[in-house]
Amino acid sequence: MAEASTQPSYSTREEVDFVIVGSGAAGGVMAKELSTAGFSVVVLEQGPHLKAADFKHDEWGYDVNKDLTWGARQGYPQTFRKSVDEETVTRESVLDYAHNVGGSSVHFSGNFWRFRPIDFMEASVRGPIAGTNFADWPISYDDLEPYYTKVDWEVGVSGLAGPWDPPRSREYPCPPMPVKSSDVLLERAAKKMGLTPYPAPVAILSQPHNGRPGCIHCGFCNGYGCEVNAKSSSMASMIPLALASGNCELRTGCTVSRVNTDENGRANEVLYWEEDGTEQAQLAKAVVLCANGAETPRLLLASESEQHPNGLANSSGVVGTNLMFNGYSTAVGLFDEPVNAHKSVPATRVLHDFYELDPSLGFYGGGGIDARHFSAGRPMNMALAGGLLGNGPTWGSEYKKNLQKEFTHTAAFDGHTTSLPLATNTVTLDPVLKDKWGRAAMRTTYSDHPDDIATMKFFYDKTMELLDVAGATKSVGFYAEDGQEGNVHLLGTCRMGNDPSTSVVDKFNRSHDVENLFMVDGSSLVTSGRGQPTMTIMALAFRAADNIIQFARRGEI
Amino acid sequence: MIDTQLSRRAFLRSASAAAKNSIIVLGLPAILVSCERSKQAILNNEEFSVLTEEEAQELHAVAARIIPTDETPGATEAGVIYFIDNVLNDKREAEHETLRIGLREIQIAAAQKFNVSYFHELEPEQQDQLLTEFENTEFFGTIRFLTIAGMFSLPEYGGNRDKVGYELIGFEDRHAWQPPYGFYDADYAQRGE
Repeated sequence: MAEASTQPSYSTREEVDFVIVGSGAAGGVMAKELSTAGFSVVVLEQGPHLKAADFKHDEWGYDVNKDLTWGARQGYPQTFRKSVDEETVTRESVLDYAHNVGGSSVHFSGNFWRFRPIDFMEASVRGPIAGTNFADWPISYDDLEPYYTKVDWEVGVSGLAGPWDPPRSREYPCPPMPVKSSDVLLERAAKKMGLTPYPAPVAILSQPHNGRPGCIHCGFCNGYGCEVNAKSSSMASMIPLALASGNCELRTGCTVSRVNTDENGRANEVLYWEEDGTEQAQLAKAVVLCANGAETPRLLLASESEQHPNGLANSSGVVGTNLMFNGYSTAVGLFDEPVNAHKSVPATRVLHDFYELDPSLGFYGGGGIDARHFSAGRPMNMALAGGLLGNGPTWGSEYKKNLQKEFTHTAAFDGHTTSLPLATNTVTLDPVLKDKWGRAAMRTTYSDHPDDIATMKFFYDKTMELLDVAGATKSVGFYAEDGQEGNVHLLGTCRMGNDPSTSVVDKFNRSHDVENLFMVDGSSLVTSGRGQPTMTIMALAFRAADNIIQFARRGEI
Repeated sequence: MIDTQLSRRAFLRSASAAAKNSIIVLGLPAILVSCERSKQAILNNEEFSVLTEEEAQELHAVAARIIPTDETPGATEAGVIYFIDNVLNDKREAEHETLRIGLREIQIAAAQKFNVSYFHELEPEQQDQLLTEFENTEFFGTIRFLTIAGMFSLPEYGGNRDKVGYELIGFEDRHAWQPPYGFYDADYAQRGE
């Protein structure tokens, strides 16, 4: 491989400038930025380096066997409870994320909404919410805007600038995706209701950009890796540049167990297992954790020591708390003519008219609506749903007949909503269950705030109304009325803030406690946004990298 | 979105409404050809890796009621039993055990009710009657899941032969599409919206 030949091979016993743990949305950006700035970088990634040619339309492999995300089958069971008063139950998986170079940016849906100015200051605009840790960010939309634009152009985003869009300093590099039938139905219904649908921004190239090809509309985005590199994963967009720099060594199949500190309390060594179980320890001048909102707090908690008895970077006790998911609702409608929502990208229109719900409703919340295929275009999942509009038969000839129209003639209008930060929603180390390495398994304690559920219900009702206006002949919907018990958006567990007693990292993603340790991923988010966090995770990574480079050059790390 | 899908699945299962008008995807000659081929495969007794011949025969009969062959191909034509054998051999001893125990129970019920030793010896209506009684068991949940998975997963796992499952629901497994994708976006383009 050409890229392999440019990779350096650093000694584990010599300090590299940076060890980056995780190569996902944030880790890929960080690796590219730091290595092309001339720093020596080792990236440790648990999974393999899969490429476009390795991906298949393999529903059984990805959804059931969890070939990409891993779970109990691969030796990584997790536990769940709704509150500390409940017994934990062991699950195949609770917090779901990919184990491969590029992380979940490889198999995500690619919906790339920027956060809006309100997201960063909503607590002061709207006022505090009792019993929650709802707070302003220490940065504003304006602080992040240049980095959103960097993501647009360097990672590759398709969309259409307009008055509906948050303020931007530059156009999108690629035009929006061609509209799908499901989105035509949404757009027409929304306009009839006086709403403002607009082309959905997606991290999928509508035309060639930065040497990568445009989308071929195969329809296997959500849950699958892109077979042509049109999806702007960090694997497709960032990692190749990091490897071409000649400064970045990407070590795959490496599972990090612990970050050690020296006598001054500085992070100096990252311990990990190679695939065959060999233990390694990489020395580093600085450590950047980009392991995601579940793995980053877990690693900090597992790195406790005499100097850091609550876990590394956790003098506040905040590490692992404030876990946020984003809420979700769906409304599925049957239409007379073929919709074929399984073709092309998940969504091509979005509605942000309900981004901020009216406080007079009596609860906090907001979100966005888009149109999709109800099983993300997956035949097996569609069939397992048991005859979407069917009256109960889940097997037999009647069931089989119901399936025949539902795959091609349905559209799902989905709500993507806010999630409040709560001290009681946490990622912690399970005291009993172990994973294949003998580490404490990840334990999730989580209950949606009542306002989160009320918000999901609002979006459920609104999307059912939209389906009706769109002319659906039958419809059926869902939201988690009893609260969610797992998710793929893993946010808030090392929140950013100015106050070291209530936050884990400062506004440059630097640990308040350990000056050469940075946490850069979904864990930094102070609020949840409205359901599509990856764009913001990548923008934060570009911003953190920019600052880290300046700190390093000034000798301030 | 595993958990939301599961909850959604549970919800949808209990949802009420009925779809009408099936679409006949295959013409009759095509069905006959694929039925014939599949019958031969069972008769030729392609090797099973973990299922005994009896288990294969019985589970095959159950799968054929879950997705029956009617105007369109079903579990039989898709070779679902070979998929099941294949994935049970892939770290799924627990599921295999569930199926074994369930089969024994269903055979006992077949003997008590209809005085036959094997499920596959029953008439389709009798089979449906028994399966309805077993609907809420772990056995049925497992075999239903595996049957549907075998119908709609990639053929390389042993089922969905000739992609009959995909064809059934109107899914064409292609690597590239161009707009228009469906009726409404074609109409949208035509009207210049």
